[in-house]
Amino acid sequence: MSSTVRMPAPDVWGVGRVLIGGQTVPWAVSQRDVDDESRAHVVSMRRLGVGVGDVVVICSLLSETIHVFPLEQAANLVGARYSSTDATEFDAFRTAAMIRQVSPTAVIGVNRDVVTGLRNLGHDLREVFEPVGAVATTDDDAHRALEHAGLAPRRWLKLGPTSGFECGERDGVHFDAARLRVGVGGDGGLTVTTTANRLTACADLPIGLRGELVSDPCPCGSDDPRVRLTQSSG
Amino acid sequence: MNDRYFERAVETMPRDQLEKLQEEKLLGDLLPWAYERSPLVRDTWERTGVTIDDIKTMDDFREKVPFIDKDAIRRFRDGSNDRYGGLLCVDPLRAGGPFTAVFSTSGTTGDPTLVPSVTSGPSILTREFWEMGCRPGEYFVEMLFTYRGPGIHQTIRGIGATPVFVDHSPFEFPNVYRLSRELRPTGWYTMSTPLILALDQMAPSMGIDPVDMFASYKGVVYAGEPLGARARALLESWGVDFFVHTGVADVGAATECREHDGCHIWEDIAFVEVLDPEGDEPVADGERGELVGTTLVDKIAPLVRYRSDDLVRVTQERCACGRTHARMWPVGRKSDEVVVDGVSVLPGDIWPAIESVPETSAALFQVIRSGRELDRLRLRVGYAREGPHGLADLRGRVVDAVEATIGVAPDVELVPNEELLRQGPPHKIPRVAKR
Repeated sequence: MSSTVRMPAPDVWGVGRVLIGGQTVPWAVSQRDVDDESRAHVVSMRRLGVGVGDVVVICSLLSETIHVFPLEQAANLVGARYSSTDATEFDAFRTAAMIRQVSPTAVIGVNRDVVTGLRNLGHDLREVFEPVGAVATTDDDAHRALEHAGLAPRRWLKLGPTSGFECGERDGVHFDAARLRVGVGGDGGLTVTTTANRLTACADLPIGLRGELVSDPCPCGSDDPRVRLTQSSG
Repeated sequence: MNDRYFERAVETMPRDQLEKLQEEKLLGDLLPWAYERSPLVRDTWERTGVTIDDIKTMDDFREKVPFIDKDAIRRFRDGSNDRYGGLLCVDPLRAGGPFTAVFSTSGTTGDPTLVPSVTSGPSILTREFWEMGCRPGEYFVEMLFTYRGPGIHQTIRGIGATPVFVDHSPFEFPNVYRLSRELRPTGWYTMSTPLILALDQMAPSMGIDPVDMFASYKGVVYAGEPLGARARALLESWGVDFFVHTGVADVGAATECREHDGCHIWEDIAFVEVLDPEGDEPVADGERGELVGTTLVDKIAPLVRYRSDDLVRVTQERCACGRTHARMWPVGRKSDEVVVDGVSVLPGDIWPAIESVPETSAALFQVIRSGRELDRLRLRVGYAREGPHGLADLRGRVVDAVEATIGVAPDVELVPNEELLRQGPPHKIPRVAKR
């Protein structure tokens, strides 16, 4: 169904949003930004066990596009395919259906609304998610619910305009130090600074979370630094 | 490219040339491809004794090619352990191939079916966005009610505009209001009835002036379900030029042009037929029938003579905009129809009656459909307030309004609007319920 005609691409790829201290702020990104983010998330896909021929289901909202699109592209870069469901109570039935039908290697973006939706439909969280190799959650409620169900969820954490994932060790969210610096402000709050060339740069941006930085090598073998949250992720 | 057409040569192609193009694409390319590679197509054809050698002309196609529908896809999927329902025509394990994503149908009518997809490049919706008046360098609000990959982002970028990503939720309005005043977007995809009603209700408390919010927009695409009179009047009162948009048998989409006289079906990508809902015969131009679609371009998972269950009217008459492609008016879903005492009733038939009662003017209602043939018409109707004389009086007025409109007196169950809104996705409510 593609069009054969297209206009010159605009400089701004899209305007998404970033959470700054609990407030959403419009955030413009360029094509170069999303391409670079996509390359960076190849490591994330491998961290989640996603490889050639696999499918990864991404539960998300449209407002999360600047964080989600690079994940989709990264899935393709490692030879996998992605699938989309909405991170809403209503669409939880489709998340369950997609897991059943496409047998994904990873599911990214499970939040409290998805968990509520599944419970309202009478689903057992363990039965839904147990066949999935890696499940990444976005908030504490969903994380605890999956743990309570006997699962070992990982965290997917937005770090300003980018994001990171926990590995199978589940001991802090890995981030790409070549592209981002994470700091701890005087009040103990986490801040992020973009170190790669970006259309919208930021310096010491408070992201509204408290945590600590872990620079010791992770048992997973990665040298990437990690963020270990000490306060609710929402 | 400074005129209203994005692809003038195709959009205004004389019908004889358009039909020739369809024939070349269908018989010369798509059909042999699908027959060779799609297990569902091959299985369906073999069951009726048809082979590709039997299809030499468009008349052969219309007379001999068997239909498929969503149930056939589900049956094939469940019976053959083929997750793609026999539709996939490429190797799913080949890395780097064109098949980059797996989406699904919405699941409105049952278990979602998988839709293997190619997600690179702008879609044909570039024509609609251009027709609305959106141009390079402008911003375009993307408020699609579900997230299915980057197709719409790429389409907005395909006209040289920049997407602004927001969720399809009334709680986004303050954010959209701010973005609208700062970025002055010119396009919006998509608006739905629940959002329109919510904006009307919530705007004062949110400090939003809808006229000011929509001031920069050249066009707002409306989708989800038929646009009722109340929602239409609200959009008009806010000065919104809205463009009704609908699906085309899962092989395309159709949108109004600025003439607002039917939704254009792009016939260079889809071959459509409108058939007697209870049979195989075509209905006359402009008559109500079931939409049957065949893709002319999708080689990943092609649908061939797909019975959509959608009741529509279609005309091939040239539009005043100069486009030659057919235009369509959605009427309802075949499976939503009930027959009460020999009277056919679709949700759209009841709509104006429900809207005419002030307390139920949001037109949130469901037909209780235990089967197609019913002794009594049962409706569940949402209300915003009880009214001056209580619920019994309100129920009586709803019954009277429906009877006056369709000639059938219904049994009416009244429920608060919120109860019905909770049942739906963000952009519509289920119009038919089993109980």
